[in-house]
Amino acid sequence: MSGALRIDVLKVHGFGHFSGYELELGPGLNLLYGPNEAGKSTLLAFIRGMLFGFEKRGRSESRYEPEAGPHGGELWMRSGAGPLVVRRVADRKGKAAVTVLSPEGHELLASRLDEALAHVSRELFCEVFAFSLDELSSFEQLVEEDGVSRALFAAGLRGARRLPEVEKHLEKRAGELFKVSGKNPELNQVLRQLEEVRGKLDGLKDRPEEYFNERERLASLGRQQEEAVALQEQISRELGRLSRLEAALGDLGELARLRAELALLPELSAFPPGGEARLEELLLRRTEARAQQARVEELLSTAGAELARLSAASAVREREEALRLALGAFTARAEPWRALPGRRAALESRRREVEQALGGLGLEVDAAGLLALELGAAARGTLESLADRLAKAEAERREAEVALGRARVERERIEASLARLQAERTKLPDVSAAELRQRQAALSRSRLLKVEREQVAVQRAELQQRLQALRAQAEPEPGAAPAPWLVLIGAGVAVVWVGVLALQGGAKEGAMALLGALLLIVPLVLGYMRSVRSHRENVEAHAARQRQRAQELTRLQSSLDTLSGRLLGLERELAAALSEAGVTAETSTAGLAGAEAALAEALRQAERVEHLGREREAREAERDGVVREAQAAELAGRRADARGRTLRAELAGLLEARGFPVELSPQRALALWRDVAEQRQRLADLGADERALATDEAACDAAVSRLLEEARAAGLPTGPVEAVAARVASALEELKARDAEARTLRARADEWAGDRARFTRLREAEEQALAALLARGGCTTEETFRQRARQAEHFEALTRRVRELTWRIEAATGLEEPAVREAILAAGGEEQLKEKLGQLRMQEPACARQLKLLHTEYGSTRSQLERWETDEALAALRIQEERLRARAAELAARYARDRLALALLSRARRRFEEEQQPRVIQLASEHFAALTAGRYRRVFLPAGGKRELRVSDARRDWCAEQLSRGTREQLYLAFRLAVIQDFGETRGALPLIVDDILVNFDLERTRGALKLLSRLSEHHQVIAFTCHPWMRECFEAEGARVVELGPSGARPDPLRTLSPLSSALPGKPVLPV
Amino acid sequence: MRFKFVHAADLHLDTPFRGVPADSGLTGTFQQATFRAFSRIVDVCLREHVAFLVLAGDLFDAKDRSVRARLALRRELERLHLAGIQSFIVHGNHDPLSGDTGALGLPDSVKVFGADWEEVEVRREGRVLCRVQGLSYPEAEMRENLSARFRRTAPDFTVGLLHANLGGVEGHANYAPCTVEDLSAGGLDYWALGHVHTRAEYLLAGGAVAVYPGNPQGRHVNEPGERGCVLVEVEEGRTRRRFVPVDRVRWHRLEVGLTGLGSLDGLLAAVTEQVDASCPDELEGHAVRLTLTGRGPLHRELSRPEALGQLETELREQLAQRHPPVLLESLRDASRPELDLETVRLSGGFSGTLLAEAEALVAEPEALTALWAEDAELRALGQRLRRLGVDALENPRPELVEQAGWQVVEQLHEEDAA
Repeated sequence: MSGALRIDVLKVHGFGHFSGYELELGPGLNLLYGPNEAGKSTLLAFIRGMLFGFEKRGRSESRYEPEAGPHGGELWMRSGAGPLVVRRVADRKGKAAVTVLSPEGHELLASRLDEALAHVSRELFCEVFAFSLDELSSFEQLVEEDGVSRALFAAGLRGARRLPEVEKHLEKRAGELFKVSGKNPELNQVLRQLEEVRGKLDGLKDRPEEYFNERERLASLGRQQEEAVALQEQISRELGRLSRLEAALGDLGELARLRAELALLPELSAFPPGGEARLEELLLRRTEARAQQARVEELLSTAGAELARLSAASAVREREEALRLALGAFTARAEPWRALPGRRAALESRRREVEQALGGLGLEVDAAGLLALELGAAARGTLESLADRLAKAEAERREAEVALGRARVERERIEASLARLQAERTKLPDVSAAELRQRQAALSRSRLLKVEREQVAVQRAELQQRLQALRAQAEPEPGAAPAPWLVLIGAGVAVVWVGVLALQGGAKEGAMALLGALLLIVPLVLGYMRSVRSHRENVEAHAARQRQRAQELTRLQSSLDTLSGRLLGLERELAAALSEAGVTAETSTAGLAGAEAALAEALRQAERVEHLGREREAREAERDGVVREAQAAELAGRRADARGRTLRAELAGLLEARGFPVELSPQRALALWRDVAEQRQRLADLGADERALATDEAACDAAVSRLLEEARAAGLPTGPVEAVAARVASALEELKARDAEARTLRARADEWAGDRARFTRLREAEEQALAALLARGGCTTEETFRQRARQAEHFEALTRRVRELTWRIEAATGLEEPAVREAILAAGGEEQLKEKLGQLRMQEPACARQLKLLHTEYGSTRSQLERWETDEALAALRIQEERLRARAAELAARYARDRLALALLSRARRRFEEEQQPRVIQLASEHFAALTAGRYRRVFLPAGGKRELRVSDARRDWCAEQLSRGTREQLYLAFRLAVIQDFGETRGALPLIVDDILVNFDLERTRGALKLLSRLSEHHQVIAFTCHPWMRECFEAEGARVVELGPSGARPDPLRTLSPLSSALPGKPVLPV
Repeated sequence: MRFKFVHAADLHLDTPFRGVPADSGLTGTFQQATFRAFSRIVDVCLREHVAFLVLAGDLFDAKDRSVRARLALRRELERLHLAGIQSFIVHGNHDPLSGDTGALGLPDSVKVFGADWEEVEVRREGRVLCRVQGLSYPEAEMRENLSARFRRTAPDFTVGLLHANLGGVEGHANYAPCTVEDLSAGGLDYWALGHVHTRAEYLLAGGAVAVYPGNPQGRHVNEPGERGCVLVEVEEGRTRRRFVPVDRVRWHRLEVGLTGLGSLDGLLAAVTEQVDASCPDELEGHAVRLTLTGRGPLHRELSRPEALGQLETELREQLAQRHPPVLLESLRDASRPELDLETVRLSGGFSGTLLAEAEALVAEPEALTALWAEDAELRALGQRLRRLGVDALENPRPELVEQAGWQVVEQLHEEDAA
């Protein structure tokens, strides 16, 4: 079975109740034996799942998802192309992607698995290569439902398990689309709709032709309509005319009667209309005018008498103007005239006050002198300027005096300070501070030098001590070198010993003695040599130490010399410093300290002297400055004095010129100046007031005298001025009132005169009008006029009636009366006219009805045409037709596609049957015969008609349904084995996995089946599951490799499997050999 | 003398648009489109001050029985008449003389050629500018080569106005069949042809030219792209032709590949992208047939008829919202299953046999015809459709066989769960 696909190991990570389970399989026939629920079906599902993927989610019962842990596992297989490992582990979403690995763990292409499975489909594999007893029967179901032909393809063809469903589906779908005599299928509906639409379209006929015909008809209707309208108009015109004539007939008769009556009356058309009333009115108006005229005459005579009374002459009237002027002048001055005595008294008192004030000023001038004084603004400005300048000069002088006083005080202070400084200076010695500082420095240096000298002396003493100590350290010489005499003695003794023995004993003893001597001498010589070496080392060490000591001595000596030199230098320096400090060399340290204190004191005094000197210089400089200031102040004071004197002289001149006291201070002079100016102003004002008073007195006197004079002239009684004035005024008022009255009266008289003239004209006009009226009425008297007037009224009424009737006839007929009469005559007289009119009245409504009919028809035709012009229905129908056509075409294409698909299926099946079936059927016959031990010889497909799988024994044929269940299952098994064999020969040998499919077989046929399986296992791996012990025995009899599965519920124990691979590392495939 | 004329044909005024649902909001726009296109042709004439307009047949469809079409024709030709522009008309198979054409009441400046050959002079300022020859179809069926009746009569520029199928173009009834040689033999300068709805030009011997302007407004998905008339400028006997598009709505056949698309959202985006790229803004509307092509996982999802229908509805609503609106005529699925048919074929078995059978049928038209004829139901349906004027099943269609093969194989390979 080289090249066949074989499963070597199952590794279940997690599947159903299996977890971490491994199972090894062999080539050939394998039996997995176990009780119910041991997991046989689970393992079958596992193999299917590993090869083709797990069932989709949602089918939990067939997914075998473990409760915990990974879901998946590995299959270790080998095929013609070599070994490979298939691994599937489901992820969280339940998807279990396949991983194909080489035994070494390298990932391979997933297509390797397809190749190894010879591209078999899942369906085919599950139907034919790996099935359970149930699925063996499902084959039966296919046979029952769809006939053996489809079942055959379902079993034997790649991807064709759904063939029956597909065919059914296609048939159903095609049936839903269209049936030749159907109603409901979609295409049938569309076709029916299309036919309806076409029917409607046909019903619409040839729309444009109809349209154009209708248009023609519309035109003809239009013409008819026009004609009918014309006729109707004519009838109604005639009817109107005749009706109007008819209406005028009555009026014409009345008119004739009136005309006859008029002819009996005289011609009164010119008689004034309303003559009698006008006559009465004129008479009345004439009487009224006459009465008015008489009343005005009377009024005028009364007015003339009154005017004469008012215009009578008098003395007052003659002098009216002069009296009015005099009274006016007096009235204007009356008020000032009354105030004159008071004003004079007031002036007198004011003059006295001014004179008193002037006297109080103390000036030797009278009022006239005062007024003559020159006290203008310029003079006052000069005075004020002088006062200012004087004040300024005085201020300057005072300032100079103050400065001078201050300078003097300052100078005295400085002098005193200088004297104090001098006194202090005289107390202090006269020593230079620099010299003292030098001595102080020398003193401190000498103290330092002394200390240093003492240190050096101490160092020197130390060195001397060390030198002496070094010199005192003498080291004994090392001893002499050890003498070699002991050695020599020893040697000598030995020689002697040797000699003696040699001599005595012979050579042998001699030699022995020599040997002993040598043993004695050699240690001696060696000890001597060591002591000599030790001595030499001691001598060398000693010499070195001596050299070192000599060097140290030399160094100390030189240091000592240096220190001595330095000590001498310090001594010299100290002496110099002491002498410089003014101290003897013997002075002790305490003396030095005293000298130092004295020097410090002297230095302090000397510094004070220096300070005092600087102070004095500063004071002297200050004093010089003060002296200069005093001099400047003195000079300024003198200048201010001189200016003050000049100004005072100028002031005195100014005052003297105005009679002021010369010795007055400028401020006083200014105050006095102001008072004087004030008094002068008052005096001037007083003078002006007096002059005004005098003027007023003169004017008042003149007015009074004139009034009195005029009153006297007018004959009025005399008396006090004011009484006279009152009298004059009243006389004048009275005169004025009379004048006004006369003026009013005159105006009214004029008015009445006008009235009188107007009434006169009116009366004359009325009389003329009356005469004219009588003349127009052709009468001479009022009475005759009245008679004619009544006749004229009657005439007028008749004429008006005639006119009225004439107008009515004209209005009714539109013709003038004679034309009307002519028209009536033309119509053949009244009778014929009425007859004609009756006829027309009957014609008119008939004509109107016809016209209305024409209108209606025209309108409907017009609207029909318009409807057609904008008709959407036809377009909509056409659109619908096109759409239905398109839909029908589309559905027809779909239908055709389905029909073609069915035809294709049928053709393909036929071709497949022809090409593939004979071989499979032949093999199936062989297998079935073998299974039934020759009971049935042949499996065949009858040609033509209903295609079904039939079997035959020697005598007759049977269809599958006629067979017992066991035999039928044997038939299906035989058929499957045939397909497997054919598939193996043509495409590739795949393993066969069966789950307890033989349980319905009797023992003999079981054995037959097992023989077949055994034979198949030569080329195909066969894996069978069973729970039956007798079945196990049968398998064992066929040499099957039996693997026991654990009982259900308990987790299968890996140790119980036959696999030695349980220790193999997961993920690292190791194929069993 | 230099002059211009406009050549248009196949106006098909007021002809329904195929594939535009009657209840669609766009029906009005589409139904007006043939009128507007003709109106724009007249606008071109007026703008270019042409000497005349030639209309080479099929001005309207007699079977449409549209009054509006006749009125529109008269209205537009009256505009030309008022502008002093002549019009020359021949009638074709859709509007033959046997119809109602006599009652049109066209203006005087319109010359409608009769059933007999006739030549008319076009004059300007007393001189012959050009000669126009033409003849109309007396009946819808015209199998005679009418071009043989045309002949040059004078040296003037001569235009032949004819409704004919030049070279037996497929998809159009073979009426008045003629060849390029036939037209060359006539010796005319310009053949103003109609009948074929796709624009085409044929250069003839001696510098002459035969022109199909195409129809001015596409009316169904098989008339995609821009449509219009031809403006011809003649100078010294030579012509310069310029195509002027006048269509207001335009048809498109768009293909969207399913390859690489994993979801319906992705498909919608791809469709939107395609539509964006193909439908210009300046028109009043577009009509689109979308065909899904290629191979991808969506094929299976869409292979259920209701799924495709739902997607079509969704797309139709979406596209109708656009500016200008886009009408989805239909959504077709020409995609192929994700299943590797080559592998199926190579792996043999029943599916392989089935595919081989399908290929054999496609390769052998006779076998297909026989199969087509064998199926009584198909035959019955074909006859019924023919009666109703639907020619969907007139001829065996190999592509249906191919699709049927794929469909069956795909169904056979569907998993139980599907």
